[in-house]
Amino acid sequence: MERTETQEIRPAVGLGVRADQVGVRFVTPRGGLEALRDLSLDAPAGSFTVLIGPNGCGKSTFLRVVAGLLRPQVGAVAVGEAAPVAGDGRVGLAFQQPRLVPWRSTLENVALPLELAGVAADDRQERAFAALQRVGLAAAARLRPAELSGGMQQRAALARALITNPPVLLLDEPFSALDALTRETFDAELQRIWLDHPRTMLLVTHSVGEAIQLADQIAVMSPAPGRVVRTVPVELPRPRPAELMGNPRAAEVAAEVRSLLAAVHPPELRPWGEDVA
Amino acid sequence: MRRIAAALLSLAAFVAIWEAATVIGGYPDYILPAPEVVAARGARAIASGTLWQHTAATLLEVVLGFSVGAVAAMGAGIALGKSLLIERVLSPYIVAAQAVPILALAPLLDIWFGGGLLARVIVCALIVFFPIAIATMVGIRSADPLLAEMLRSLGARPSQITTRLEIPSALPVIFGGLRVGVTLAVIGAVVAEWAGASVGLGVLINIANQGLFDTPLMFVALVTLAVTGLVFYGLVLAVERRVLSP
Repeated sequence: MERTETQEIRPAVGLGVRADQVGVRFVTPRGGLEALRDLSLDAPAGSFTVLIGPNGCGKSTFLRVVAGLLRPQVGAVAVGEAAPVAGDGRVGLAFQQPRLVPWRSTLENVALPLELAGVAADDRQERAFAALQRVGLAAAARLRPAELSGGMQQRAALARALITNPPVLLLDEPFSALDALTRETFDAELQRIWLDHPRTMLLVTHSVGEAIQLADQIAVMSPAPGRVVRTVPVELPRPRPAELMGNPRAAEVAAEVRSLLAAVHPPELRPWGEDVA
Repeated sequence: MRRIAAALLSLAAFVAIWEAATVIGGYPDYILPAPEVVAARGARAIASGTLWQHTAATLLEVVLGFSVGAVAAMGAGIALGKSLLIERVLSPYIVAAQAVPILALAPLLDIWFGGGLLARVIVCALIVFFPIAIATMVGIRSADPLLAEMLRSLGARPSQITTRLEIPSALPVIFGGLRVGVTLAVIGAVVAEWAGASVGLGVLINIANQGLFDTPLMFVALVTLAVTGLVFYGLVLAVERRVLSP
């Protein structure tokens, strides 16, 4: 990948993520399901990579592989130098659903990673509270997840993923359940958090606009079994606004990503004028 | 306040129907004694100290048997819930043991364990074991797999997943098992006493029924057992409310 201006002014931080011809197959009662085949991806340290593709193309499966929750049967993944190990602190993961523990307060949920690591109670309370302040949730520290809105729940989940300061952060469509306006704000905030504390980011999304706003590179995925069809670099200055379509380079990237998606994905992404049969 | 009023009202209705049945039927006391006859017999049994002596023996058996049985059952339930292998190996024995009537086992256990308090505690614990173990197993398995995956992604060890997720998720179901178990513990104590004991409410029932033909005294023992069951059930409920309060 050609080095861009933004990458030159930012020192390399975090750990790079490399996937080399990864294949994952699930055994189901009705035979096998091949989720990933020949997936290769290079996410340099400190870069922001967005994986895009429709539902069922294996994006979430790939994130689980990078998080060390799932071992690929074929190929290899490296986070930094070594294969991923679940929960070893190199990788943080925010899921599509907030996955907060319902009987714990927001503060206790955010402090959970520290609690599991054996951090003393005072220390973890303090750090969790600081993490909540960063995502604007300090006032909700004592509330239970059920008392929070969907957006607040996702912010708490993000605070939980960030509290151990992992060099790699994986985001599995974390804002997909939010309304469009909230989502724009969250994307802007996510960009700010990343610019303030750079690390390697892998974000999964369906939204081309979100991808262009956030990504250094957009990895377009094929339908299942998923692989990266092409990686499209996005060379635009940061911080980027939500609405970039007036920018000729952004429009170019959007057109390229859309045509790649339409080429590999049957038939829903094509104009209705073309017969699907 | 309203809960207490409702309970008192229902108790009054129960006594009234009982009273009406004895008045209309005109049964002799050795078939169905009237409430006031039972109350008077109860007052005498309390005054003489007999009732307390028997009740204290049964209470001790219930408390010890329930505690031992519940702790063992929760431990077993966690193991059964977490390991399919353990479940496959052990559950046939647990189910079979439950299917064998405790009434038949009690005399045998009485011989094996020397006919003392220990034997009665074991009978009590056995009868309590099944519902609590099954409830715990089901509860442990009801833990949200998405939360378990989240914990694994944060590096939680299996024991941390058990303490932070599986046991808290299982608590409402476990308390359901404890409620069933605590009432069974009272039955277990009586059955154990029938198999061989010299004191206890079960013994008192036997004395009243077969020895003295004192049906009012038998009713006193039955009412005491019912109240014992209610009190223990209420205690479990109180603990449950405290533990599960949001």
